[in-house]
Amino acid sequence: MPHRKLSSSRRRFLEGAALGATALALSPRRASAQAKPTITYWNGLTGADGKIMDELIDHFTRDTGIRMEQQRIVWADLYAKLQVAVPADEGPDLALIHTVEIPHFASDGILEPMADSATSAKGFKAEDYLPSTWQGGLYQGKRYAVPLDVPQHLLYVNVKVMRDAGLAGTDGKPKIPTTRDEVLAMAKQITKGDTFGFAIGTTNPGRYTWGFHNLLWQNGANVYAADFKRSGLGEPAALEVAEFWGAIQNQHKIAPPANANCRDAFIAGKLGLWIAGSWNFTGLREAKVDFVAAPVPRLFKQAVVWTMPHQYTFPKKKAVDAAKRDAAWAHVRWMSDHVAEWTLKAGQVSALRKPHTDSRVTADPVLRTLLGQAGQWQSGQATPKWVAAENITRPVIENVYIGQKPAAAAMSDLARQINALPD
Amino acid sequence: MKPRRARRRGAFTPYLFLAPGLVLFAVFRVYPLLEGLWLSFTNARLGRAQHAFVGSANYVRLLDDTRFHVSLVNTAYYTIASTVPILAVPLVLAVALNRGVALRTFLRGAFFFPFTLSVVTVGLTWLWLLDPVIGPSTYYLRAAGVPVRSWLADPSTAMWAIILTTVWWVTGYYLVIYLAGLQDIPRELYEAAAIDGAGGWRSFWSITLPLLRPVFLFVLVTHVIGSFQIFGQVFVLTNGGPGDATRTVVQHLYETAFQNFFHFGSASAMAWVLFVVILAFSLLQFRLLRGHTQY
Amino acid sequence: MNRPAKVWRALLTTLMVLLAILWLLPAVWVLVTSLKLTENIVRVPPEWIPWPATIEHYGEVLFSSSRTARIGRAFFNSIVVSLGSVALVVLTSAMAAYPLARMSFRGRNLVFGLIVGSLMIPNAVILVPQYVLVQRLGWLSTYQGLIVPEAAMTFAFGVFLLRQFFLTIPSELEDAARIDGADPWQIFTRIVLPLSQPVLGALAIFAFRSAWNDFLWPLIAVNKPDMFPLPVALALLRGAYAAESYGPIMAGAVLSALPLLIVFLVANRRIVEGVRVSALKG
Repeated sequence: MPHRKLSSSRRRFLEGAALGATALALSPRRASAQAKPTITYWNGLTGADGKIMDELIDHFTRDTGIRMEQQRIVWADLYAKLQVAVPADEGPDLALIHTVEIPHFASDGILEPMADSATSAKGFKAEDYLPSTWQGGLYQGKRYAVPLDVPQHLLYVNVKVMRDAGLAGTDGKPKIPTTRDEVLAMAKQITKGDTFGFAIGTTNPGRYTWGFHNLLWQNGANVYAADFKRSGLGEPAALEVAEFWGAIQNQHKIAPPANANCRDAFIAGKLGLWIAGSWNFTGLREAKVDFVAAPVPRLFKQAVVWTMPHQYTFPKKKAVDAAKRDAAWAHVRWMSDHVAEWTLKAGQVSALRKPHTDSRVTADPVLRTLLGQAGQWQSGQATPKWVAAENITRPVIENVYIGQKPAAAAMSDLARQINALPD
Repeated sequence: MKPRRARRRGAFTPYLFLAPGLVLFAVFRVYPLLEGLWLSFTNARLGRAQHAFVGSANYVRLLDDTRFHVSLVNTAYYTIASTVPILAVPLVLAVALNRGVALRTFLRGAFFFPFTLSVVTVGLTWLWLLDPVIGPSTYYLRAAGVPVRSWLADPSTAMWAIILTTVWWVTGYYLVIYLAGLQDIPRELYEAAAIDGAGGWRSFWSITLPLLRPVFLFVLVTHVIGSFQIFGQVFVLTNGGPGDATRTVVQHLYETAFQNFFHFGSASAMAWVLFVVILAFSLLQFRLLRGHTQY
Repeated sequence: MNRPAKVWRALLTTLMVLLAILWLLPAVWVLVTSLKLTENIVRVPPEWIPWPATIEHYGEVLFSSSRTARIGRAFFNSIVVSLGSVALVVLTSAMAAYPLARMSFRGRNLVFGLIVGSLMIPNAVILVPQYVLVQRLGWLSTYQGLIVPEAAMTFAFGVFLLRQFFLTIPSELEDAARIDGADPWQIFTRIVLPLSQPVLGALAIFAFRSAWNDFLWPLIAVNKPDMFPLPVALALLRGAYAAESYGPIMAGAVLSALPLLIVFLVANRRIVEGVRVSALKG
């Protein structure tokens, strides 16, 4: 390319402009002299969490002048809408989605990649985050998301149920199981009449794939083998997990029927040990349930904890409005700076490390337990077929749970179905 | 002058009347339908602007799609199994209400009320009522000594629990239709039969049922068309479970189009297969019942 | 009425009332739950009397601090969309059903067959082509983008229902009017429509209910939160991961059912008379 020599005055003008632009970029607040854009923001935080998000957004608007038009839709519907709207250029400026959705949305061209220069310019660095959350935003080497928080599994222990079953100490505090044998033994002692000892999942425990994945990972197995080409569910480790899945209802008889509402059962004092998502605990407090939050017990080889971080993404637009994109970045930056508030009010632990040492956070026993699990966090594999694989897993594990199909046949059938998924 | 104008106007009149409705129907119904039909012969996906013609590949793939077969069987099972309860319960209630009971407005309103609730409300409420741990029905049955089962988690009873919920939901609607039909049957016929010594049961068989046949056809056709497209309450109550025991065609279609891979072309093919099935069933019904309507 | 008949009537009434009360129990459960304090909602044994009672859930639904769940605005949107859809569908169905019942012309059976046949395709498949069409018209997030497709969805049912009814009107009335020099439009508006008030009322109620409770179409066709109709707004009350808050959900359900119930009670007579005459001569 021919080298053009710029006139000195033009060069000086360009240098000046570059300096000015840099100054503007580094001091967003001072640039509030111009009108601030309104950006659209979609997420699935319905229910109680939504109100807290609203408060934080109001705070953000007061601080920066940027207004946000939120659309909140239950997650499953949100993803369908995103898939319909983005190609029609009706998508939002900012979307909060789950880590496991990134691969297929990215591969479908629904999400825009984030240049490394952009993320580091806005102050997002890998070392500030827990590795599993930071890695989750990548697909095929490109970054598509910045993590916010870490919904994860927890062991809820119903104090009253434990006491009634004789599983509490003299101080009234319930015993906490940490291994599979302890869980089974305690659960057997609890299960009596209409009360059950142990369950995994919020509703429909038979179909609770998130719990099944948690157990798979604890046993070193996974849905796909490392090359993402063949399913790993035919392996003996996976089979062991499937057998356990069926055994808790049919053999040990410590778990409720496949479609029981475990959350309600726990609230009503009919369930003693409950592995479920961390998002339940604020509701339990509202329902005034006497419970203790404990780490997920080690039911197999390793004490892995399932997580599904929320990630901020920029859905593709036909033409990117620079002001709106900057505003969206500003929001992600602001939320990351104020994520401790989100943690305290919504009970979702941050993906950033820094708030983990915030004394307000560590003062809460449940949050402390959640933080304590950080070393064992794992989340879904980064393949576009993950969600589809999960959807076809549900009826199969349910059949194992209710004893309709033996574990070995079910797992080999499921592996075959997963291998047959089109690309 | 007038007769000629009338004759010319007469030729166009039907089309003028049809025009507004047909425009609405053509633009917002026929056009999307035909586009759906076209898409069923392509590999269209939500989110992909380009789609290629693939001939009958989507339809051929359905031959291997065992989950589609299962859902078709489940849907047909649901349609047939639900026909008697959904059509008979409101009929019995209608006959009883017609016999001369007091408080008819209250009773009619009570049975109709469930129909005003949305499908999600109905599903959530019945999920709770039937919950095997904390549900009121479980509690009362257990107190009465009946062995507790989880109706919705047992493949042999799940579809019947769904039918029970649906009966509760839609009975009021069919009740209103039946009542209207019954009220149109002249009282004199019953009185004459009574004078001849025919009891209640006899007059039901010989007078009520035959004169109610036209209502039956209308209700039966509406019910069959609706049942083959059942989705909402099944999705909320069992999500197609346990396993795939209650998975319906529209659920399979919906998940294909809006979840797993957003395979819109495949989903369209499923819809058109369903259309052929419903059409066949409806034509059969018309054949069997239409011929007998004479009065 | 003689004594045995009176006893029968009393017995049957009692039986029916008991059955009706049993029938209403699930609906009572919805109402009762909406009035309970959160900590009392999930309890075994089940409690049927909400004591202490609270209206906080209704307050939560109606005056929620959440800006995205603006139920009041959603209520208004639903009224506009439902009424608009009813008006459009009743008008177009009636005008289309009349020639299909009363006039002979080329293509009559084909048109009727197409219309009834369209009932046999599930809505889910039409959604996406319809979305693309509505977007091209620039109607996303507008009232007409909701009203017109909702009307189109009920049109076929309306034509089927009304045609059945029109077939039962004695043709002598129309013949007499024609001899007197009335043109088809006059016959339609001055004789047929007035006689059809009952079935038009019935269609209006079913069309209203269908537009009022529709969730899927508004979900994708509306991108501005303050244009959402009620079912989409109420869905926001549901917890994000099945962590349901029953109080607000049930309060929302009661509020949403009220207009339909009112419409039913007011038009009760109309429905019975209307549907009866139409369904009869199938």
